[in-house]
Amino acid sequence: MRIERLLANGGRLVAVALILIWSLFPIAFVLMSSVKPAKDIFAAPPKFVFEPTIRHYLDLIAKWGVFFDGLLNSLIVTVGATLLAVVASVAAGYIYSRHSGRFLSASAVFLIVVRLIPPIAITLPLFPVVNWLRLNDTHLVLILLYATFFVSLGTLLMRTFIDQVPRELDEAALIDGASRFTILRSIILPIVAPGILAVSVFVVVFAWNEFLFAFVFTATRAKTAPLVISEMIGSIDGVDWGILFAAATVQLLPVLLFVGFMHRYLVAGLSAGATKG
Amino acid sequence: MSAIHANPITERERAANRSQPQPGETPARLAGLRDRVRNALGFFPFLAPVHVLLLSIIVIPAFYVGWLSLNTSSFGQAPVYVGLANYVKVLTDPAFREALINTGIIVVVAVHLELALALGMALLFAGGLPGRRFLLVAVLAPYAISEVTAVAMWRFLFDPDIGPVTMALRALHLPVLEWSYVPSHGLIIIALLTIWLHLPFTFVILFAARLAIPGELYEAAKVDGATTLQSFRRVTLPLLGPAMLIALLFRYIFAFRLFSEVWLMTQGGPARSTEVVAVYLYQEAFRFNAFGTAAATAWIMVLISLLLAAGYVLILRRQGGAHAH
Amino acid sequence: MTKTQKFTMTRRQMLGTTLAGAGMLAGRPAFAAAKTLNILSHKVHQTVLNGPATGDLTENWRKANDADLAWVTFDSNPLQDRLFREASLPKTDFGVGYIIDNRPTADIAKLFTPLDAYQAKAPIEDYSDIAPGLVQAMTVGGKLIGIPVRHATQGLFYNEALLEEKGIKAPATTLEELVDQAKQLTFTAKSGTPVVGLVLASDLAVFPVMFARAYGGDFITSDFKLLPDPEAMEKGLTVLKALFDAGALPRSYATTRNDDQVTWLQQGRAAYTVLPFARNAQLNNKDQSGFPGKIKAVEFPISAGLKGKTPMASVVESWGMVIPNNAGDKDLAWSFLREVASKRVTLGMAINGNGPVRVSTYADKAFAAANPVAAVEAAVLKNARGAFPPFPEAARAQTIFLEEVQLAVLGRKPVKAAVADIATRVRPLLPS
Repeated sequence: MRIERLLANGGRLVAVALILIWSLFPIAFVLMSSVKPAKDIFAAPPKFVFEPTIRHYLDLIAKWGVFFDGLLNSLIVTVGATLLAVVASVAAGYIYSRHSGRFLSASAVFLIVVRLIPPIAITLPLFPVVNWLRLNDTHLVLILLYATFFVSLGTLLMRTFIDQVPRELDEAALIDGASRFTILRSIILPIVAPGILAVSVFVVVFAWNEFLFAFVFTATRAKTAPLVISEMIGSIDGVDWGILFAAATVQLLPVLLFVGFMHRYLVAGLSAGATKG
Repeated sequence: MSAIHANPITERERAANRSQPQPGETPARLAGLRDRVRNALGFFPFLAPVHVLLLSIIVIPAFYVGWLSLNTSSFGQAPVYVGLANYVKVLTDPAFREALINTGIIVVVAVHLELALALGMALLFAGGLPGRRFLLVAVLAPYAISEVTAVAMWRFLFDPDIGPVTMALRALHLPVLEWSYVPSHGLIIIALLTIWLHLPFTFVILFAARLAIPGELYEAAKVDGATTLQSFRRVTLPLLGPAMLIALLFRYIFAFRLFSEVWLMTQGGPARSTEVVAVYLYQEAFRFNAFGTAAATAWIMVLISLLLAAGYVLILRRQGGAHAH
Repeated sequence: MTKTQKFTMTRRQMLGTTLAGAGMLAGRPAFAAAKTLNILSHKVHQTVLNGPATGDLTENWRKANDADLAWVTFDSNPLQDRLFREASLPKTDFGVGYIIDNRPTADIAKLFTPLDAYQAKAPIEDYSDIAPGLVQAMTVGGKLIGIPVRHATQGLFYNEALLEEKGIKAPATTLEELVDQAKQLTFTAKSGTPVVGLVLASDLAVFPVMFARAYGGDFITSDFKLLPDPEAMEKGLTVLKALFDAGALPRSYATTRNDDQVTWLQQGRAAYTVLPFARNAQLNNKDQSGFPGKIKAVEFPISAGLKGKTPMASVVESWGMVIPNNAGDKDLAWSFLREVASKRVTLGMAINGNGPVRVSTYADKAFAAANPVAAVEAAVLKNARGAFPPFPEAARAQTIFLEEVQLAVLGRKPVKAAVADIATRVRPLLPS
């Protein structure tokens, strides 16, 4: 019995170690390489002891000012898309939660079916439309695109969260003559805050990292950070891995921290989506 | 997903609605109609943003793609109507079939492997671990990494000549991944990369579902003298079933449209042997500028995605019957 | 921290950032000059217009026209795609675009303004000085649609230090010698770096085409003959395969790209490569290269059997500047084209590493002094021609060609079968 438990514990320890290596080693390697002297980055075997340097970060600032513009663009697009997706999802989720009918169920199925269309399928026809609307290379086009691809999931998640709010609360307010909008804002919203955060996590992570749409629909003014990083990889002067790793670090740290702080809402969101399925 | 599966409240309401309007009670019916119209007008501002976004950004362009797929066109050429010729062309193209097979392999192998890993991890975590919070964040970390960065780091780690992982494997006299040379290795590294990026998502779904299983069930099973394996089979698996199905559906659909990982990692090489359907579409559209065949490929992707989802709904229906939700 | 606290904080933060973001959006600086010319190009086209030795070559033009330049740059393939898409719209913001010589088919050419009338009205300085072959590449159906601006002629680069280390005194002068030396140069250097004899990208038709030409063959000739000498192509691919089998091409051959070639040579991981002569400066750049001053270039060698009988036809790729049909201020665009094509700017760009399109530039002493490979480049250019001519399905033909080449080099298909398949698969794509 004791041996068995010891073995089980040992196995568990090994499993945890493997999980940690699998998840964190590639990320740790990027962070580490970003402060490695250039000549050590490609050293064989890899060096784990070295004199850390901030040289690559200084080079990044000096040579790739456009990267920081990219970060700012990413920030604007991410915040915009998150706000839009959350507002649209909460409003629709509220109606789906509190009312029913043939039209509503049909439109809910529509939400899901639409989401099955692969994004790459619509890049082709969107280009002339976006251009015709003079939206090419603007933040707005990315905000609209990113929000659109999350309003389906967002609406369904928000519906599940709002379902958990007792109906008596809004019925009482309704009797007092409050409008739907007032009920949503002052009664429902504060209670479903965790749901909103859950939806936000999905949109933020997606919008901050997205590549394909940004590649097709932006040129200079709205170019996002992942795009600048991909340019570093294909740079005409050859890849400067040190700078690349520094940029990757700057790009991934904020959202890594964000996910770290928000992991509870992520779990809550997915459990709402999954267990209620 | 939950909309397909009507929730208890709306189910009850619908039943009530159905029993209300009796034939012959005209005034009441009129009032009901008036209510419904007023309701619909009231709903409108709430539902409009979501539907306007979806219609204008996804649905209308998708129909335009449908029209494109019935024509041949390229830069500087006016579209010429060709009926279903583009579909025939794509479906008979050996490159498309290979791309479809590769996509199938990745969907089947990577997604199921990912599900098994996620399940194992979810159970490990649910069993209680020291420092679980930190571990949870660690496991979630790859979710936060952009595909561009992930590919850069994996290309570097697995570089066939100087990559640290390659060198470590060589030093241990283990076989290395020659992903730029052996096609199956190319698929393996793409599968590994996509598992790395999406495992957190699948894991969280299963972990959350596992947490939702009441502890009493396990205690009851223990009292009945069930072994760990038995309680896994009798309690865990059936209760995790729906969550696993959802995770699978999500991942099927997302793995099916896999693009950035392949494009940035191998560009479909060596010799187009790791090309997937989305990469095939990209090549047709943005390299060969053959908009007709690209659009046909897009609609084939849409139809396959819909079929996948329909299969899922069927399974869910059958399950729903058995479980009496 | 409790849940609610965290929520209120985040909401406030979110609001704050949005406001800040909106403010920044609104506060974007307006352009200073009266006019702006938007240009769609590769990054390199922009950088050669400004260098430490020459200063900003566009300054005169900008002051004279009270106009600013706004560059939007992409990698070659996406750049061409974007250019054609912009030119297909009812109206585009871009006044000038850069096009590769193997892209303007009759259909594509329709998207761009014929320049003959502009040339008649406000001619380019000493127009006949521009290499006639390059002008020809920008002439479609008798109409001039682009002004040549850059050529990239392929040369054979080698790392002198590595050759010396293996006791090789002179770089290869025949293809057979090159193969032999590349095999010898596959070794571990004194520095501990593993070296391969030759590094080539696998996603460009340039390299297999040059190997076939070294035996007197070709892929598609300018008059659309497919594989005029299949045996020569077979010989070329057999040589590439032998190099790969010997480890003299890297194991990662099938995923090696153009930029990797530069990195490998700079880091001393490869002894030979084939790149445009214009890359000389970058390969010897003190900040990036481990071997500044040691990387040199010669003409790509022809096979021993043809040496002295026929000249080697290396691959040249050229770029031209075009004005989309749907552009706004075309006169402004033309005045920019004139300025960039002028003798002064052509020389300045050449000093900054651009392949000059004017014959007179090669005679210039300042250029010869600044560029150690100028003489050999001029000689190679005389016999050079494009990898394949433009036609609507050229991109697809290139993809098929490269797929078969990779299969043959990696040993997954016999060379003979691969060449036969190139013939049968590419033939239906050729214009009739």
